[in-house]
Amino acid sequence: MEQTPEYVIEMLHITKEFPGIKANDDITLQLRKGEIHALLGENGAGKSTLMSVLFGLYQPEQGEIRKDGRPVKIESPNDATALHIGMVHQHFKLIEVFTVLDNIILGAEDTKMGFLQKKNARAKVAALSEQYGLHVDLDAKVEDITVGMQQRTEILKMLYRDNEILIFDEPTAVLTPQEIEELMQIMKNLAAEGKSILFISHKLNEIMEVSDRVTVLRKGKYVGTIDTASTTKEELSRMMVGRPVQLVVDKAPAQPKEAVLTVEGLTVPSKVHKNDAVKNVSFTAHAGEIVCIAGIDGNGQTEFVHALTGLEKASAGRIELCGHDITHQSIRARSQTGMSHIPEDRHKHGLVLDFTLEQNMVLQRYYEPRFQNHGFIRFGEVRSYAEGLIEQYDVRSGQGPVTVARSMSGGNQQKAIVAREIDRDLPLIVAVQPTRGLDVGAIEYIHSQLVAQRDAGKAVLLVSLELDEVMNLSDRILVMYEGEIVGELDPKKTTVEELGLYMAGAKRQGKERESA
Amino acid sequence: MSFLIRQTLIYAVPLMIVALAGVFAERSGVINLALEGIMIFGAFVGVLFVRLVQQWGWFDAAKEMNNWVALQGFLLLTMVVAAILGAAFSLLLAFAAINLKADQTIGGTALNLMAPALVLFLIRLIANQNTLQMATGDSASWFMIKKTMFGFDKKAKLGFFGSTFLDKVYLTTYICILVFIILSIILYKTRFGLRLRSCGENPQAADSLGINVVKMRYAGVTISGALAGMGGFVYALTTANCASTGDVAGFGFLALAVMIFGNWKPLNIAGAALLFGLFKCIAAAYASIDINGDGVFLLANIGLNANFYRLLPYLITLIVLAFTSKSSRAPKAEGIPYDKGQR
Amino acid sequence: MKEKTPLLQRDGTRSVLASLISILIGLAAGAVVVFLVGLFNKSMSVKSAWEGIRLIFLGLFSTGRSASGSLSFGFNPVTFGNMLFRATPLILTGLSVAVAYKTGLFNIGAPGQYLAGTAATLFIALEIPSSVVPAWLIWILAFLGGMAAGALWGAIPGMLKAFLNINEVLACIMTNWISANLVTWMFDVSNLKNTVENTKTAYIYKTSFNGVQTPKMLLDKIFPGSQVNGGIIIAILLAILMYIVFTKTTFGYELKACGANRHAAKYAGIKDRRSIVLSMAIAGAMAGAGASLYWLAGNTEFYWSTYQSLPATGFNGIPVALLAVCNPIAVIFTGMFMSMLDIAGQQLTALTAYNEYITDVIISVIVYLSAFSLVIKLWLGGKAKKKAGSGPDANAEDPAPAVKTAANGKEAGE
Repeated sequence: MEQTPEYVIEMLHITKEFPGIKANDDITLQLRKGEIHALLGENGAGKSTLMSVLFGLYQPEQGEIRKDGRPVKIESPNDATALHIGMVHQHFKLIEVFTVLDNIILGAEDTKMGFLQKKNARAKVAALSEQYGLHVDLDAKVEDITVGMQQRTEILKMLYRDNEILIFDEPTAVLTPQEIEELMQIMKNLAAEGKSILFISHKLNEIMEVSDRVTVLRKGKYVGTIDTASTTKEELSRMMVGRPVQLVVDKAPAQPKEAVLTVEGLTVPSKVHKNDAVKNVSFTAHAGEIVCIAGIDGNGQTEFVHALTGLEKASAGRIELCGHDITHQSIRARSQTGMSHIPEDRHKHGLVLDFTLEQNMVLQRYYEPRFQNHGFIRFGEVRSYAEGLIEQYDVRSGQGPVTVARSMSGGNQQKAIVAREIDRDLPLIVAVQPTRGLDVGAIEYIHSQLVAQRDAGKAVLLVSLELDEVMNLSDRILVMYEGEIVGELDPKKTTVEELGLYMAGAKRQGKERESA
Repeated sequence: MSFLIRQTLIYAVPLMIVALAGVFAERSGVINLALEGIMIFGAFVGVLFVRLVQQWGWFDAAKEMNNWVALQGFLLLTMVVAAILGAAFSLLLAFAAINLKADQTIGGTALNLMAPALVLFLIRLIANQNTLQMATGDSASWFMIKKTMFGFDKKAKLGFFGSTFLDKVYLTTYICILVFIILSIILYKTRFGLRLRSCGENPQAADSLGINVVKMRYAGVTISGALAGMGGFVYALTTANCASTGDVAGFGFLALAVMIFGNWKPLNIAGAALLFGLFKCIAAAYASIDINGDGVFLLANIGLNANFYRLLPYLITLIVLAFTSKSSRAPKAEGIPYDKGQR
Repeated sequence: MKEKTPLLQRDGTRSVLASLISILIGLAAGAVVVFLVGLFNKSMSVKSAWEGIRLIFLGLFSTGRSASGSLSFGFNPVTFGNMLFRATPLILTGLSVAVAYKTGLFNIGAPGQYLAGTAATLFIALEIPSSVVPAWLIWILAFLGGMAAGALWGAIPGMLKAFLNINEVLACIMTNWISANLVTWMFDVSNLKNTVENTKTAYIYKTSFNGVQTPKMLLDKIFPGSQVNGGIIIAILLAILMYIVFTKTTFGYELKACGANRHAAKYAGIKDRRSIVLSMAIAGAMAGAGASLYWLAGNTEFYWSTYQSLPATGFNGIPVALLAVCNPIAVIFTGMFMSMLDIAGQQLTALTAYNEYITDVIISVIVYLSAFSLVIKLWLGGKAKKKAGSGPDANAEDPAPAVKTAANGKEAGE
């Protein structure tokens, strides 16, 4: 009388608490066999926690997990693997110095007297990659292959373990539009072969395209589950945020004035390989406009920004800021000439995490006469300045100016950096991925701040990987591919698809740029 | 020439084995700065064991009868004892670094301070002086392999190979080389090795695949301790005439440098150890090295101060580090305590 | 924060408590070792173990043995003065390790810097004839020379770290041994070997031989018969100076920013390489000053054939700094504590069958514990919270909100 249960995996009324926060509060998620089920929510909505519970990394305080209708206990990743649950993590869990094959077999190795036997494994992986169209070089080291291939390695890891339930955690964040297209196809293939897929994302376009059903979480709570076919993007975003969201940034047309930043023929050597990371880049940014450098991660944007701000040396080219040649100036001299910089990595460059908030607020200007007297810090002045910024930019923290930066949330850390950099009131703002990892509210806020700065006559140089951000925020788009500017686009006249072609190197403008 | 090779090996072998000790710890993700201390401890334990067994008289009979098989077996046993206690001592580091997520540099430094202190405290109580020696005889007369053991006459000529590798050598040299080879194979060809290395590169990934990171790191540190303890005894036996003084003259740190220079890879480490062994050998015996056998002591005749040769290995280490640091690639997760919650 | 934080929940209080716990456990470990040895060693007795244990804890107050043969204790100005004298170099090597640590560097090179300072000081103090140059001027030159030599020796690993990214620990260890050999070499070929007193081999002249020695600054009146001199006052002044530099000035802000996050400091326009070299140079200068003050006392003799050993005073800077949680003011006290241990070790050697190495065991246990002092502090924090929770003014802030936001941060970074 065995009857196939409707769901392969059910997570019923899951509650998971961390000290001081309920990350999951009575959440229910039911996955049908062979479906692609999207899990939608903002950063901090509890998606990752829920998946960690399913994967055995956390134990829930309440609730039950069922596999094929039967209750199961998942206490470690080993239990999850035994139940044929596999996961592609957002940050790949790969050993960079191992080969693809070693990465796939790690933890599930065939051995003879303890010695590795890779022959059968190699054959099995080869068969799987044939079956699902997942092409990888098994003997290449992971550090040498593209992000797309690394992701395929992760998928093969799951298939090698005969997993039936596949979890994809924000899989598209690092891919090009074309690679995303491919991934969607792979996911559909997998589902067609009977695999059940959980697809975690906050990108509405992708969810609409690929999923059968959607479960929405908000602030750790369950909002609802609906069929994708019967809903709209607007509906989903309302469910996700809890209020109607403006998907488009509201801004007046730009009114560019004089040139603030002129870059001519900038070339930067790579630290990893022998070629140049940035090749002969030239452009001008004017006061009163937002110029965006778009591109897929790793196409020279980081090196370009480092050379522009002085963190790295350029090997050729010229940089002019407000009429001054700053090509060979120090970081501080550039900053004093008129450049503020919201860095890409807030933990590496943006903040001294072990310093207090107030100490971080004066990181760029502690040496100004306002904050020091003959080399002695004027603590009172620092305190009142920090309090002012905290108030004005609504930076929330446990203990105000004396909060240690490390203990603040990512959004508030970023707000603090934005506050610090904007308040310096300089003609050029270099903003690199200013909204990475932030929730919708914080993104809206930072976008509006950048537009306000533009309207106040600043030049804003935005470097972004997010297509939506590029299209919505910028007045002019420069696409960077393999270190070169391959196209200049007007966001009002172009489409996401066209932008994607430029970003993937499939299309480029003007032969005159190929002098390098 | 064969004297030079023999002497070089005497310094190179402990360096090599202790550098491999560093590899096992660091490849599992724990920086073992305590190699020096563990060597000191292993040397003390080994010498004490030799001394005690001598005092119990068990092996004097073998010595009397020139039963060199028993004597070499006894030597092997001592190596094992030093390895076991070295491993036990290293558990202090493992506990601090893995369970308590302590600062590994400070933890290692603590062990480096603890070993000589404890050892000297005990030596002073046992021997009433600052050196612990064998109860009778010296290491050469007890443990050295000589050509007479193979039935050759005292005056027989063995040729270059024989006189270099079969006469006036210690068995420990060959045991260490053997252990080095076996462990290198284990590191690269077995499931255990693959998993151990994964913990030093990306413990989060290893954990997500069901590998017990804590267990692997304990294994790495324990193996490291065993090798360093054994290396310490071998050092004391072959270079210090089987005496323990609470000191191995920075040898453990040189081994760390050899490890970095060898880029955490056994084959490169073996090469680096030979190079460093040569310099150590020159420093220790420059006055009696006769390179081409013509009776001219070239290095001694240059007339440089002895202290110059003594500081040479350290200076060269620095220079080598300066040139190789850019291309060296440490295990990515070394020194970072693994925290399950931090995914 | 104007409101009063409960005493036990303050970070500073917890640091002090954690250090005190480390000290107690360290002393207890020493006592256990002594007890075990007394128990198992046939030539010793449990009674001698008890004597040893008492000396470990109360060595500073030891006054020898009474007529009846039992240990006697009391205030002894000579021991006290000597304690202060020996604390002088310890405070300075402690400062050396502490200021480097504050800037993110683990300065295990203090022994080498100490030796460099020793060599420079002794050469200047003995080679400039006091018949030509006034002794007080020679003293100043020797002191500054010692600091400069230490600074130079510290700057070397600093430069290797800053420009070639060589781990400073390894570089420091190598420079230590190079220093030991170099110093031996220099004295070996010098004419400063003490040949007047034939009973001594391999010693250098006392600086008083050239009429150069640190003024007593009246301290000999307070502790008559001891070695104490004005050096301890200079050490305390230097500690206060370091405290001011590191907490009140923009220079200290730069060094600390660079230590806490080199990348962020660079981003903010701070010259990161210069900061690292300067940090190590300052650290080296402190160790060099420690050596200067010790050898300029005029009543100390340097054993010059030091190529096989490094000065313990240098290494003991590590526990001094760690116990003080790298606070320069606290270093003054932990330096004195370490010096007390030193005295206890001497008493142990003089009065019992045990020896001074037990104090090194205690020190190493303390260093071991400070490797995870954070765990001890967190544990103390947990205790305090429980206690405060039962009281009327339950935990108003600290540390619950911090933990909460930290969890938020982790979530947001998912």
